[in-house]
Parts: sequence; C-alpha cells; structure tokens
Amino acid sequence: MSWITITENGQRRRLAIARDQRGVWIGWPGGSAFFEKANRLAEGGHKHRDVRAPMTGKVIKLLVKQADLVAEGDVLVILEAMKMEYRLTAPHAGTVEETHCQEGELVDLGKVLIKLIE
Amino acid sequence: MKVLVANRGEIACRIFHTLREMSIPSVAVYTDVDADSPHVWHADESVGLGATSAYLDIPKVLDAAKRSGANAIHPGYGFLSQNAEFARACAKSSITFIGPSPEAMIALGDKRGSSLTATKLGIPVVPGARETDSLEEARKAAAQVGYPILVKAAGGGGGKGMRRVDSADELSDAFDAAKREALGAFADERLLVEKYVHPARHVEVQILGDGKTAIALGERECSLQRRYQKVIEESPSTGISEKTRHALFDAASRLATATKYASAGTVEFLIGPDESYYFLEVNSRLQVEHPVTESLTGIDLVRAQIEIAQGGKLPDVSSPRGHAIEARLYAEDPYNGYLPSTGRVLMLDWPKMPNLRVDTGIVEGSIVHPYYDPMLAKLITWGETREQARRKMIDALSATTLLGLTTNQSFLLDVLKSDFFTSGKTFTTTLESMTWMRPEIPECVGAAATQALKQRSNDSGGTSGPSDRYSPWHALGAFRMHS
Repeated sequence: MSWITITENGQRRRLAIARDQRGVWIGWPGGSAFFEKANRLAEGGHKHRDVRAPMTGKVIKLLVKQADLVAEGDVLVILEAMKMEYRLTAPHAGTVEETHCQEGELVDLGKVLIKLIE
Repeated sequence: MKVLVANRGEIACRIFHTLREMSIPSVAVYTDVDADSPHVWHADESVGLGATSAYLDIPKVLDAAKRSGANAIHPGYGFLSQNAEFARACAKSSITFIGPSPEAMIALGDKRGSSLTATKLGIPVVPGARETDSLEEARKAAAQVGYPILVKAAGGGGGKGMRRVDSADELSDAFDAAKREALGAFADERLLVEKYVHPARHVEVQILGDGKTAIALGERECSLQRRYQKVIEESPSTGISEKTRHALFDAASRLATATKYASAGTVEFLIGPDESYYFLEVNSRLQVEHPVTESLTGIDLVRAQIEIAQGGKLPDVSSPRGHAIEARLYAEDPYNGYLPSTGRVLMLDWPKMPNLRVDTGIVEGSIVHPYYDPMLAKLITWGETREQARRKMIDALSATTLLGLTTNQSFLLDVLKSDFFTSGKTFTTTLESMTWMRPEIPECVGAAATQALKQRSNDSGGTSGPSDRYSPWHALGAFRMHS
C-alpha cells in the first residue's frame, strides 16, 4: 500500500497502489482498477462452458440437475448477496454436464457452479 | 439515558457521534463477522449477538440492552427500525424506542396502513391493491390497474422485496422472489401491488413530530436510483414548483399530525410528468439520506429524535439555505449489472475540504462481507448554489482513494458530469435506461501496473534486475482487468 508519483505529458500525477495475493490495485483521481494474472479465471472452450459465481453469495435456488437440457437464457441458479437476488442464466443452449453447488451453500467469487456442454 | 444502537456500519457510527456530543453513554451490538467493525469502537460498550442475521433478532437485541443497562434503543435504518413488534417489545421491557410509537408506525410506516390513512385525509395515492397476500389476489389487482405494475414488500423499503412486472407471465416468478426477499430483509412477507407511474420523480419530505404537532423540514429529490436503491440525492428538488413544494409539505405534516407522529420520519411522493403527486409511503425512521436536510437546516436529526424521545420540544427551524447533494459509494460494479463486490479494503483515503461530509463505517483493513448492505460511505457536499455543490462533489469523489474492492466511484462521477444531471432532468428510470460504459483506464495506470507486478515478483523471488525475464508477470497483454 503506497503512493507513487509519475510524470505524464509533463504533468506530475499521484497513483495509489495496493497488492493482494491475486494481483495489484491501482487508483487514480476518480477511479481504480484491479490487474490480475490472466487465465486464473480462464473461460472454457466452445464446447464446454463453466457458469461461475460472479460474486460471493448464497445459493438460494438450484434450478437444474445433471443431464437437463437448457435453452440460452434459462435461469440455472439464483444467488443471493447483500439481500438482493441475482439470476445466473445459461450463456448458450446445451446440456448440464455437472452441478457443483447446493441450495443453501455459501459460494466464493469465481467458483464453478454449473458445467454446460453445447 | 443510556442508548443501545441496534445497527451497524455508517449509521451506527453516525448515531454514536451525536450520543457522545450529548454526553449520553452508548452501547454497540455486533455479530461475529462484525466484531472488528468501526461501529463497535465508537461506542462506550459493546455486546456480541452471534450469528450474521442477529441484528434482526428481537430477543437477542433486548437481552443485550438489559445486560448493558441501556434504557433506550436507537434502531438506525433497515433491520428492526420499522418493526412495530420490536417497538412494542421495547415498551414491554421498559426500554424507550427512539422512533415513533408502534401505533403511528402501523398507521404510517406500514405501506398498507399508510395508504389508508392518506386516502382518509384526501391525499392522492398510486392506484393499486394493498392486500395481496396470495398470488391470485395479486393477479386480480394487476389486471385491474393494468401492467406494468410494481410488487412491493408491505413492511419494508429500500427496494428490497420490490419487483417491476411487465406482463402477467412474469408475475408468479416476481411474486415469489419479492416474498423471499421481503422475508429475509424485514422478517415480514406481506406484499402489495401498485400501478407503475412513468416517467416519475421521487421526492420526499423530512418531517419531525412531537406527538402533538409536526413540521416539514424540507424535501429531498431522490430520483436517481438503480434497482430501486437510491444513488444520488439532493435538496432542493429541481423538478417541483414552489406551489407543489408547499402542497407536499402540507400533506406530509397533516399525515404526521393526524397519526400523532413523535420522531423523525420521511414522507415519500411520486411526482408525475405534470407535477401531479401521489403519496407513496412513510419511512417511520431516520433515512439514509438525512444528512442532505441536516446540511441545509443545520439541525442534527438524531439529536432531535433523542430530545423528542425524552419529551422535549421540536427544534426551531429557520428556512433552509443553499443546495446539498449526497452520493452513495457502493461496493458494486455498475458496469456489470451492479454486482456487489466483497473483500478487504486495502487502501482508503477520504478527502477533507470545506462543506464536505463523509459518513462511513469502514476503515483501511475492513472486510466488506456479503451478508449486509453494499453501501461503503455517503459523501455530502453543500454549496450556495446547486452548481457549487455539484462541482464540489466531483472534486471530492475525484480525490477519494479506495482500493481492494470494485466500487461505483467512477460511475458516480459520470452521473454528476452528465448533461441530464447538470440540467436537473432526473427521473427514477434515468440511470437504468442509459448504457454506462466502463471508463478507459489512463495510459500511465497500465504502465504502473506492469511495474508494480514486476516489483512484486522480484520481492517474492528475492532477485532483481534482468533475472525476472522469466517472471510470469511479464506480459501485460495477459492481465485481466476489473473495475
């Protein structure tokens, strides 16, 4: 956690820097961004697609089971975080290969919840 | 008096400040995950409640009051603040509930009860049905007023347990979801159905009552919302004439007087395109955005609540001065469906400048959990004119540093700089009807990131210089960015 000063187009600017295990956060006047190593949350190929938790939260409904056929946009899982519900939908039509969560389970950001095959 | 604050986060911290100023001993309560939260240190004493949901647990909160010898409870907002059963339970235990009486709460704080009360006083309400406990009743009511409709929690606020429904096909899903959310957030699953007025502004009136008379302290325009959660509030409203303002003040104080309202409260109105107004609901508690009114009037609303609870008089009110704006900093990604973010606050630096107030419940090192509200802080700026307050807010947000979580900081800045905000054309659907683009990352930031990551691999490898050419951090093209 520190400040650095850089010079850009002759202008001195201050940036904020903080590291965690996954990468580095940089803050500039009015914004911030996280730089993380690629392929940590690698997407699957075209044939297989993982549906991952977009945030840490609780699974309140698991609406599919193994071998279910789903259409693009079908709701697969309902997650709850901060008292709001979020619906995770199928990114494409396919078959549910595996489910990796249970109702009531607290899941971390990035966890694979459903594996789909096209 | 010794006051227990049955809440957490920024509002608990804010209430403790006033208690200290009034030399009233204070007690904090906390759940296991909140044991190290700042609100706990701001109190003279603290009592642990256990599970993450315990802020809603009436017996546990009352027991904490008894154990600490507190004879009054301030509920803050959310949690038990609008729960009449809790207010009654306090009275039974000889604890002063710092808020309105349970009777006034039912007559006003409950969405159903308040619509009936308003109708009796001749105050217009949005067409709809106040009794829709079953899906069938909701279906009938929706057909009567016509889609689109809103399904709302009868016992709550803040957009939790609320759904917009565009057609009959969507009703069943929305009804169930709203019910679950309402039960989780307010321990009350009753719902109501309302016609969806569009385009509308959301304008609310701050009231203070002492049980005999009530006064209106001013209005707040809170039209800018996402998922029915307010993002930016201001006062005075840019969308109402002096005539409408007086009509709203009059309606609000009549409602409060008729129900012998004794505390701070907020009367919410929906303003249609032709300045027609509809009473929406009363929030029978302190409101998140109450500092906007405090900035214009110089009145400490928490102090006023405590003095009223002690049997004191209403404060003297001089006319409001200037313009105030509040921006809510949330732990969420506005460019990705407002998904909440969680994690540790790694670096935090608030600006200090004249006429800026920052109300927050986090410090550097705090962990933002998925269990509670994603609001990290409120920034409130004041100016002689709206333009001054707007520019000050842009300055304040630009000088704010918060690392470790994705926040809506740059989104707030985009809104404040937009043409619609600058010209005061703010409606409840404005934010969600626009496409918001993630701002570009300044060039120098990418370069700084490469360097910072290189340095890190050097630190951990214990080597420096050319040997890091094998570092996995080398290729910036491989980095993935958030926020």
